Amino acid sequence: MTAFRRLPGGGRIDRSRTLGFTFDGQRLFGRPGDTLASALLANGKLLVGRSFKYHRPRGFLSAGIEEPNGLFTIGEGNRAEPNIPGTMVPLSDGLVARSQNAWPSPAFDLMAVNSIAAPILGAGFYYKTFIGPFRKSWMFYEPFIRKAAGMGKADAAPDGARYDVEYGFTDVLVIGSGPAGLAAALTAGRAGAKVLLAEQDSELGGSLLAETSEALERWRTDTLAELRSLPRVTLLTRATAQGIYDGNQVTVAQHVAQGQLLHVIRARSIVHAAGSLERPLVFSNNDRPGVMLSSAVRSYLNRHAVAPAERAVLATNNDAAYSTAFALAEAGVAVTIAEERMAPAGDLLAQAAALGIAIFPNAGIADTFGGSQLKAVRLKGRHSVTIDCDVLAVSGGWNPAVHLSSHGGIKPKYDPAIAAFVPGGFAETHFGAGGTIGHFGWQACVRDGETAGKGALAACGIGKSPRAIDPPGVRDDRAYGIAVSRDPFDVSLPGKAFVDFQHDVTAKDIKVAHQEGFHSVEHLKRYTTLGMATDQGKTSNVNAIAMMAGLRGIGPEAAGTTTFRPPFSPLTVGALAGRSVGKHFRPVRRSPLHDWHARNGCTFIEAGLWMRAWYYDWAGPTPETAYVREMELVRKGVGIADVSTLGKIDVQGPDAAEFLNRVYVNGFAKLPVGKARYGVMLNDDGIVLDDGTTSRISDTQFYMTTTTAQAGEVMSWLEYLLQCHWTDLKVHVASLTDEWGGMAVSGPDSRKALELAFPEADVSNEGLPYMGVKDIPFGGTTVRLMRLSFSGELAYEVHCPANFTIALWEHILQAAAPLGIRPYGLEALASLRIEKGHVAGLELDHRNSLDDLGLGKMAAREKPYIGKELRFREAMQAPDRWSLVGLEALEPGKKLRGASILFAADDEIKGHGRGYITSVTWSTELNRFIALGLYQGGLRHEGEEIIAAFPLKNEQVRLRIVSPHFIDKEGTRLHA
Amino acid sequence: MKIPCPHCGERDVSEFRYGGDASRQRPAHGTGDLKAWHDYHFTFTNPKGPHTEHWQHVLGCRQWFRLSRNTATNVIAGVVE
Amino acid sequence: MLDARSPLASAYSFEAKDIAIREEGGFTLTQVAGFGKGFEKSLAEAVGKLPARIGVAQANDAFTVLRIAPQQFWCVGEAAPAGLSGECLITPLSSGRCRIRVEGAHARRTLARGSAIDFDRSAFKPGQFVMTGIHHTPVLIHCVDAEVFHVYAMRTFALAVWEWLVDAAEGLVAGN
Repeated sequence: MTAFRRLPGGGRIDRSRTLGFTFDGQRLFGRPGDTLASALLANGKLLVGRSFKYHRPRGFLSAGIEEPNGLFTIGEGNRAEPNIPGTMVPLSDGLVARSQNAWPSPAFDLMAVNSIAAPILGAGFYYKTFIGPFRKSWMFYEPFIRKAAGMGKADAAPDGARYDVEYGFTDVLVIGSGPAGLAAALTAGRAGAKVLLAEQDSELGGSLLAETSEALERWRTDTLAELRSLPRVTLLTRATAQGIYDGNQVTVAQHVAQGQLLHVIRARSIVHAAGSLERPLVFSNNDRPGVMLSSAVRSYLNRHAVAPAERAVLATNNDAAYSTAFALAEAGVAVTIAEERMAPAGDLLAQAAALGIAIFPNAGIADTFGGSQLKAVRLKGRHSVTIDCDVLAVSGGWNPAVHLSSHGGIKPKYDPAIAAFVPGGFAETHFGAGGTIGHFGWQACVRDGETAGKGALAACGIGKSPRAIDPPGVRDDRAYGIAVSRDPFDVSLPGKAFVDFQHDVTAKDIKVAHQEGFHSVEHLKRYTTLGMATDQGKTSNVNAIAMMAGLRGIGPEAAGTTTFRPPFSPLTVGALAGRSVGKHFRPVRRSPLHDWHARNGCTFIEAGLWMRAWYYDWAGPTPETAYVREMELVRKGVGIADVSTLGKIDVQGPDAAEFLNRVYVNGFAKLPVGKARYGVMLNDDGIVLDDGTTSRISDTQFYMTTTTAQAGEVMSWLEYLLQCHWTDLKVHVASLTDEWGGMAVSGPDSRKALELAFPEADVSNEGLPYMGVKDIPFGGTTVRLMRLSFSGELAYEVHCPANFTIALWEHILQAAAPLGIRPYGLEALASLRIEKGHVAGLELDHRNSLDDLGLGKMAAREKPYIGKELRFREAMQAPDRWSLVGLEALEPGKKLRGASILFAADDEIKGHGRGYITSVTWSTELNRFIALGLYQGGLRHEGEEIIAAFPLKNEQVRLRIVSPHFIDKEGTRLHA
Repeated sequence: MKIPCPHCGERDVSEFRYGGDASRQRPAHGTGDLKAWHDYHFTFTNPKGPHTEHWQHVLGCRQWFRLSRNTATNVIAGVVE
Repeated sequence: MLDARSPLASAYSFEAKDIAIREEGGFTLTQVAGFGKGFEKSLAEAVGKLPARIGVAQANDAFTVLRIAPQQFWCVGEAAPAGLSGECLITPLSSGRCRIRVEGAHARRTLARGSAIDFDRSAFKPGQFVMTGIHHTPVLIHCVDAEVFHVYAMRTFALAVWEWLVDAAEGLVAGN
């Protein structure tokens, strides 16, 4: 005999259409307008899952987001989503739903054996059981305990849903579409404001959707019709406001066609109209399927035409729940009321009598019976009556939904008149209305909404005064009449009395927590896990606070609430990531030569955001083999490499030279036009910030280069100095990293290559000396030739505007083809510079000084420069600082790894050692592994044998300390 | 958080780069005064409350400006000249 | 003559009923900066009236002029401004930026899926421009007409920005 049945008429369902869905493999049917929950109830499915810890049979407690029990996995394969409350799923044709946490089925769950272990599974049982001699046994039992507890399973396949993020701006954001929210939206909309209303449900109306009054329905539809006619008003459904952040930024997660859309909204004002959530009563076996919140019973009845089969009991401590009893009676259900209070209001007694409803005063629920489906309840008090019933509707009062309004840090305060917490205040430009501020009548909600709407308009500076809202044509609100019992719950009574249904936390657990000294509500939460499940304590927090307050002998206002943080309800991580996944995780940065590399056998490597050419097919199939041939070509012939990723900065103005002179450690004021100079810049603290080569193009214009990695940092640093501190200097800086492409043409034949490529230009040793710079017109554009070498060979850099870089590159390859010119990539580029002993990003890691890197002699003695003062502080001059050395591997068979830790020959291999390797490569010229590194005492130990250790692989290699310039120490190749 | 760029108007904080304390005077370039530079770079208060600081609108006009922000509440009092 | 190549050479043009995205190249972009009013006078003689503030583009005969910083201007036209005095600090940027045209009824929402800017018709009107970010890269978005926008993306990020915009448009077209 099922607990619920579908009524032949009524409800907001479309009886002309049928929707088919599957629950645990069984094919069932429902109507448009159903939720998964209402459809399951209509199909007689009361038992829908098992509880988290004790595997107790469970059914729906609610009809909304507060649902703790009825969680399902919805969908299949890579669209499966676990832990979805069935109350929040609009029924759709073909929906597939599976229960969770029960095997093989909720009805016959083998894991229910946990119930037998229940006495030891109370609060903190992990901490109390797995201690002392049993501590290690946790590792043995953990897998079994984990398997026996838990929520749904997440599919391991990549998420098949599509998540988008969209930024939105509005004058007024209204959260909630109940009477308060609708009145606020209409007030603001009538004054011409831009209004965005976010409603979590699939339909608009909030609490109005559970009403059958014609007057209320007319008010709802009229209001919606007018709202829809206003072009600046947007109404969103299935859109949950999840969090409110600094500056009135609000995230609203909306379910849309392909997945979810996260609206990130900036609102000039916000109306909080999120309503209230009913709270259950705490009594023995209050979790039996068939026990439901009174407003849920009412919602299933009026909205979905799903009613208790024959008999219902209503247990309440307030007047408002009587409306459920009356609606049930009018639908033909036999109703009995178990009143917790001494004497209900007179008008309610009369109405109950007229409907044939029996009332037992001063008689809450003592216990429930029926296995996995409610059959009967026993009342407390003198009567101790047992009443048969299909459904027990409970009401412990209503809790205003204070979550969002508390995100800004204003803690809720307790209102004894309604025995609940209300927002403790509202930030400027925020307004509350209706249930969310503890006002529970139709007229009050509409008036609140109108007032809040006007407040929002004023906050936006909108002066227009809108037409007044017509109140709904129903009688005046009546009092709430709630009276909560202050008697402490008697935990000695048999049977579990649940406070947090989802995490299986009982009244006894709260008592234990109190006994063990966990008095603060924050401690209570973490110790018992109450409020920490996916329902975030929506039906348990306030009851628990009241119980703990009672145990402590204080009022709930003194106990306070825990902190409310976003999200309001579970939010899938994908929705926050939006489209920033896969190849869109970070923006990919491409050199102007990228397309050429891709078409010409190049393998790319990520270097920060850049895709850089790593090595080319012509040289070999793997990075290890290819770079060797590429290096040989550069050392013996001529190669060409893409260096476009270097930072390039235009420095112009009358004071450009003075500016660079201040920023670099070496002199730039007197750099002649047409010359380049290697420069190093320090931070204020004397640590090396970056290096680069800067060329003087004219008296007032310089072309600065930086390392690839630091380009942005240096640009901001230069702008900072000019705009914040040296405002008297007339200098403008502009980034040219994207404007110019650059290539290195390197090797003994590089001059010949340029002669072939640019026959009109004088690139002789005299025409373009070492560190010389000249711009030549070529092919309709400007080509900048610079004689610089990163590789240690005779070399040039050739720069031109990025639009023409590919064409210029192709031209050079073609013109110099007789010399055997080929492209070389980053692996070879890096290897060449290590052989030369050039420091690069790995050495410039913002921990090293000029002296550490062997560049101390570069710095000017006389002229001031940034970092000069702090460069000479005591700690920076200490003799045992780690400074730059070259390292040669002495054991041919062993691989030398980067980031190896360096030890003296007779050190114990333990701890931080005396330094580390910064860059390492196989030197084709020296036929062994070589490295650059930092070592305590540096080149004072030249010639000594040391050890490089790589503890992750338990490897050690003997090395000798040598000069960091492994090849061409005199620089003869450069000056050829 | 919204940052009010004096040139572009209020924008999302993700368009900006934070530049640290702006309440003290940078020592003049080339003073040679180790102590003055040491104090400027390493010793500064970290107030809970109003704080004058540098921000750069890196995804916008790339201008630096000074802001007064309350470090406890993230309420921005405004641009400081 | 060296031929010019676009960073979007490998991208496909995107066209749907309410949204079209394609490259609109063939422009010359020159950044001109200086100090004080002197350079502005010289610049105005070369390119026409200069906008007084950041955020409004000035469409003159041969140039559209945008003030991108208190003392910096972008001049967009078929060529670079000629006859500028020595007070004008010139930085050519024609290769440094890639211009993408976003057009259609869905254009504003497409842009709103990349930048935290109010692109509503009432807030972002023809003639206005914003400097903001798309997918963490700096861009300048110019409202050319009610449903037509020019996005100036950094060249090295152009394909990434392109793919981001096209992906956003695809989401809108699919009903997301």
